[in-house]
Amino acid sequence: MATADSISGVTAPSARRSAGLLVLLSSMPPEQLVEIIAKLTVSFAPEDLIIAGSDAFEADNYPALRIVPTAAINTSWMLTAADFVNAYQLAIKTGAQSILMLGPEANTLGASGLCDLAKAVLTGSTDLAVPRYDLPPHARLITSAILYPLVRALFASRVRFPMALDVGLSLRMAECLAGAGHRFNTLNQGDAFLWPVSEATVAGLTINQFGVGPRTLPHATGSDFNTIFPKITGSLFADIDAKAAFWQRFRQLQPAHSFAPMQPAISTNSIAEIAPLLQAFQLAYKNLQEIWQLILPPSSLLGLKRLSATDGAAFRMPERLWARIVFDFLLAHRLRTINRGHLLGALIPLYLAWVASHFNIIASGIDSESHIETVAAAFEADKTYLVSRWRWPDRFNP
Amino acid sequence: MQHVFAMMLQPDPYQSVPPLYADNATIWHHMSGALHQSLYRVVTLLIAFLPGIIAFIVALALSTLIGMAFSALLRRGLVAARFDDRFARNHGSVDWAPSGSLSELIARTAFWACILVGLIIGVSACDAAYATAAPQSSSFLPYFTHIIGAVLLLVAGTLIARFLARSVLIGAVNEQLQYARFLSLGVKWLVLVLTAAMVLDHLHIGGNVVELAFGILFGGIVLTLALAIGLGSRDLVSRSLESHAERTSERSVTVQANQATTSADPILHI
Repeated sequence: MATADSISGVTAPSARRSAGLLVLLSSMPPEQLVEIIAKLTVSFAPEDLIIAGSDAFEADNYPALRIVPTAAINTSWMLTAADFVNAYQLAIKTGAQSILMLGPEANTLGASGLCDLAKAVLTGSTDLAVPRYDLPPHARLITSAILYPLVRALFASRVRFPMALDVGLSLRMAECLAGAGHRFNTLNQGDAFLWPVSEATVAGLTINQFGVGPRTLPHATGSDFNTIFPKITGSLFADIDAKAAFWQRFRQLQPAHSFAPMQPAISTNSIAEIAPLLQAFQLAYKNLQEIWQLILPPSSLLGLKRLSATDGAAFRMPERLWARIVFDFLLAHRLRTINRGHLLGALIPLYLAWVASHFNIIASGIDSESHIETVAAAFEADKTYLVSRWRWPDRFNP
Repeated sequence: MQHVFAMMLQPDPYQSVPPLYADNATIWHHMSGALHQSLYRVVTLLIAFLPGIIAFIVALALSTLIGMAFSALLRRGLVAARFDDRFARNHGSVDWAPSGSLSELIARTAFWACILVGLIIGVSACDAAYATAAPQSSSFLPYFTHIIGAVLLLVAGTLIARFLARSVLIGAVNEQLQYARFLSLGVKWLVLVLTAAMVLDHLHIGGNVVELAFGILFGGIVLTLALAIGLGSRDLVSRSLESHAERTSERSVTVQANQATTSADPILHI
């Protein structure tokens, strides 16, 4: 949790002038900072920008640029509650009208994408500007498998990457997120994740998605996948639980926007071996049956049994089965059927099975994004199943 | 001569020898008398003890009814006062409460507290009845509390064993250790053996025999595991560690731009 004084470098109120956009940067090398500023100053006058970051750099080329030292944001790979609280406080102190938060490796974003995000919130047309990255099919798989389908089905939002890495916020969106973040801060959980898309949807604020092209993803230091996965999914499940009164009502899905096609699917030879994923699933199938039986209904267990009998290129997890599995784990998370750490740990092998199936489908020639849209559609179609079991968890469920 | 012997062997008709039938009657009389007396003592003891048993049952039944009523009232009151929402607002969601409801936890605690009070009252009544009825001055209550403590120890130990076994199982499966089930069972039985030793020690059963047996068994299990891991499974452990290190480096989220083109792109889950 960030405890440093984040506004120590703010100038006195009498000397302060209001600027349009507050750009909060995560800790990065000076050359990356310069690169980002160069891209932003293409579309914005330096006097309209306030750059806030923890790293000092030479801004001789931009004498009109205001630099505000602050505590590093996004020290991990996802924006946390403390980051949003600090951002809002800094915006109020500096008089900024909108905020652009950029994560590590943001210098790899295209200039037009950066400017689109910034302009959207600066002009007031959007409260939450989220980027749509152009990533290869083997990247951000948790988002493709779980986060995007769940957010789309429950909050009727087509935001492809709801896990915030770079966001543009209007002041009222920042206030909304700061309020949510403050609750976590008071509970000493400043490193808890916030989900801006669901917060904006519940608050009735506008969300817009902008294609920003390819981006280099940062790597999570100090944590392995088995630790990060439960943290991300547990955070989303808890957020969904907290907003149950909202998503149980029918929502019309946002209209689809056309974006430039993502990178073409990579051939089987260049994709990581699927065999370890299948081995992980088979090992879990032999050992975790007694735990899965506490969470999944017989129909899903039968589906997994059939899946365990297939191997290699024939390994395909039906989209409906995956949707039911995620919904059942979400329900078990709410009902505390078993310890939540154990629950999310037991989901990992099933997720790896989905990844293996996804790669097999891509290898068969189907476009990655098409398959992910099919998965998301399956989640939408089975939303009634989730709602009915949420309301009547003890009802007979074959 | 034979006549003399016969005369000698013949009983004196004038002597008063008690008949055999009279001996049997006396023995039977003494035996039945002893049986009657012991039966009388036991029945007297039971009759004296019976009020205590009835008092125990009545105390338990009444405390159960009172507990049910109290917990229902408490639950309704807390729900009406929106206690869960207020607590969550100030202190965050409760992860350790059943079904996330603190009101439910408080109501259940109140119910079991009433039953516990009823148990104590009932046992105390039993103890008083036993003390007045029995000639000895021994009391049943202290040992009964030991039994309660032993039962609680057993329950806690079983829960901890199951929790740890499940944690080890899931963690080992996710680390793709082939002997995950073996590890999980080992941890579970270690904790259960420890719990059993603590329970027997608490009940003062076995004394030094139990302590010694537990020490030998536990030490033997740990030594066996150490030898298996240190000596007997060197190759297996080194292969597992190597494959784990390879998988960790494959699964970690790496910087895409700096990677050279390889035949297999690593999976970036995040």
